Amino acid sequence: MRASAPRSVSLVAACLVATACTGGTPSSSGDDDGGSRSLRYLIEEPEDAEALQALEKHLATFTQESGIEVDVDTLDFNTMRTVLQTQLRSEEGPDVFNWGSGPSFGGALAEAGLLYDLTDAYQENDWQVYDFAKERVTVDGKVYGIPGEMETIGIFYNADLFADEGIEAPQDLADLVAASEALREAGITPMAVGDKEGWEGGHLLSMALSSMVGSDGMEALLAGDDSWESPEVVEALTFWKEANDKGFLPESPTSVDYDTSLSYYYSGDAAMIPSGSWLVGEIDDNTDFETGYVPFPGPDGEGIFTGGLGSGPFVSATTDAPEAAVELLDFLASEEHGRWTVENLHTIPPMPIDTSGLEVSPLFAKVLADIGGLAEGGDFGYNIDVLAGDAFNEAMFDGMQALFTGQATPEEVAANLQAAAGQ
Amino acid sequence: VSDHLRARSGLPEATRKAQRRLGILLVLPTVVIMAVFLLFPLLNAVYYVFVDFNGIDLAPPFVGPANIAELARDPDVWAALGNNAIWIVVGTVAPLVLGLGLALLLWGVQRGSTLYRVAFFLPYVLPQVAVGVVWTWIYEPTRGWLNRALEFVGLDSLATGWLGDPDTALYAVLATAVWTAVGFVFVIILSALRNVDTEQVDASLLDGANWGQRLRFIVLPQIMPVFVMVTAITLIGGFAVFDLIFVMTGGGPAGASDVLGTVAYSSAFQLNRISYGTTLALFITTLAVPFAVWLDRVQRRLSTERTGG
Repeated sequence: MRASAPRSVSLVAACLVATACTGGTPSSSGDDDGGSRSLRYLIEEPEDAEALQALEKHLATFTQESGIEVDVDTLDFNTMRTVLQTQLRSEEGPDVFNWGSGPSFGGALAEAGLLYDLTDAYQENDWQVYDFAKERVTVDGKVYGIPGEMETIGIFYNADLFADEGIEAPQDLADLVAASEALREAGITPMAVGDKEGWEGGHLLSMALSSMVGSDGMEALLAGDDSWESPEVVEALTFWKEANDKGFLPESPTSVDYDTSLSYYYSGDAAMIPSGSWLVGEIDDNTDFETGYVPFPGPDGEGIFTGGLGSGPFVSATTDAPEAAVELLDFLASEEHGRWTVENLHTIPPMPIDTSGLEVSPLFAKVLADIGGLAEGGDFGYNIDVLAGDAFNEAMFDGMQALFTGQATPEEVAANLQAAAGQ
Repeated sequence: VSDHLRARSGLPEATRKAQRRLGILLVLPTVVIMAVFLLFPLLNAVYYVFVDFNGIDLAPPFVGPANIAELARDPDVWAALGNNAIWIVVGTVAPLVLGLGLALLLWGVQRGSTLYRVAFFLPYVLPQVAVGVVWTWIYEPTRGWLNRALEFVGLDSLATGWLGDPDTALYAVLATAVWTAVGFVFVIILSALRNVDTEQVDASLLDGANWGQRLRFIVLPQIMPVFVMVTAITLIGGFAVFDLIFVMTGGGPAGASDVLGTVAYSSAFQLNRISYGTTLALFITTLAVPFAVWLDRVQRRLSTERTGG
């Protein structure tokens, strides 16, 4: 009858640990049992609760027009990454879900047969997605989703602070270093950089490297035609190491998470923040100074923006309501929805839309113009973590943290990247 | 012997059969629950060790002991195991010493004893994720109050990025874990101290025993079974530690605070190497169970000695 505590502990430990990695519990799903027209739509948890409410309200108009109920469900990114495959395989998962469009994200699901083929739906509904974006959701000639919003990664700077200090927006890398030195001397943190979570380091390398080697160079690296141990990669890594060593970044950036780094910029404690166009809405809401936005500068010029695509809608291969799901996607791919996202979510859909007459802030208008230029064939770099595999990303995230903490040299990080690229 | 007992029981055969059926019926739910929630997942986990499951391919290839061989030569695993060892030693000894010390200090205190117990026990019952988030703020390099307090008292040189420095990250999280565990040890030991024979303590005082002698020869032997139980719980927790580290550092910077649990998680769910992650999880279990069994035996022996059984 006696069950001593240590034995209980050992049994519980064995049970928990042994089951820890063998799958999760699928959540319930709204499904279509023939007559009903309801969908479960799973999205990443928005940072702003108001954005979720706005989306639900907007989808209510779709429900009114189509008679299709849409139950919006949210998960934070890490949880979604952990349970999405299990949910999709369980046939109890979401009918429609938002997910990344690179090979590590939607591409992996497509290869596993977990996505509904939307090739015919594209033709029937004439969805006007930019070709370069459509390529990111195409696997073996079949189109599996609508790419998410278009994003750029560059440097936001406090234009008022720059003016007060008599500093111009950087036109090349030497300008950026000079501006950072001047700001540091003035007692202002030059760049609000946090790399506690690790993924931020991927963005830092992506933007520096994109402006250093251009889009062709990035493509060669990502395709394996160039080595990650090349001098340009080492130079990009060295820039960030020296930026930290010279005090251009906050103290111990690996202790600072992304949200805290944002607060440094919003409060005016830091003069610049290397981040992406998704931040525009938050900057508009949280600051009372003028913000400028430039590409990360290159060694000999103003550099190029790093381009990327956010999470967009995919349809589960096991959905019981494929027709309703395609109707929802048709709504999400419409110009009307695109204009709504521009105005309400401050995001830019990967399709041509008429933005005239929309009420947007000057900063967002600038981002719209920049991205419009990219969509029309302008040169842009690549956000590495969306296009690389998981092993490479881990090496990159750890490598950037190791640079900032002195655990590795730029050459060692570059060698690790090359080794990971070969896996 | 069985027939003899049956004869002695004097129960009719029909009653005995009904009792047997009832017994089986009563045990059945437990057996089913154990089979479904313990045995099957355990066997399933063992299966995953010998295949290469990436979470996508439903027919993963058989790879034999390749995952085990990789584990044996994976430097990240051995570094994480070293961190586990630090966690187990410091994370067990520190709460025991501090909890015992607190319990001894407050042993004879009557006024406000409930308040003390609640105050010290509270961190233990708080969700670990919430504790991790709050302590992350405390450790924040420029705005966290730890560095601010150090600067206030003139110890600026000690201020650092606690969670982002590879030399301090693990110990900073460990300090948080100790903070939460001390209250648990304190409350359990204090309860045990309430049962210590105070007449023996008084007698030892008359015999001239000093504080250390009273603790060693009178108090500790009487609370030893409880002490060993608390040791077992904190020690086994050290093998499976995950939540606080995951929330506060994610195993970083660059793996400096990784333990086996975070490496297993990262392998399984970030690198989609479910089989390797499962191998690591089973490795943790394999390490923890012998300690649990050993401490269980020690505790049972001490309990038997105490009760004179």
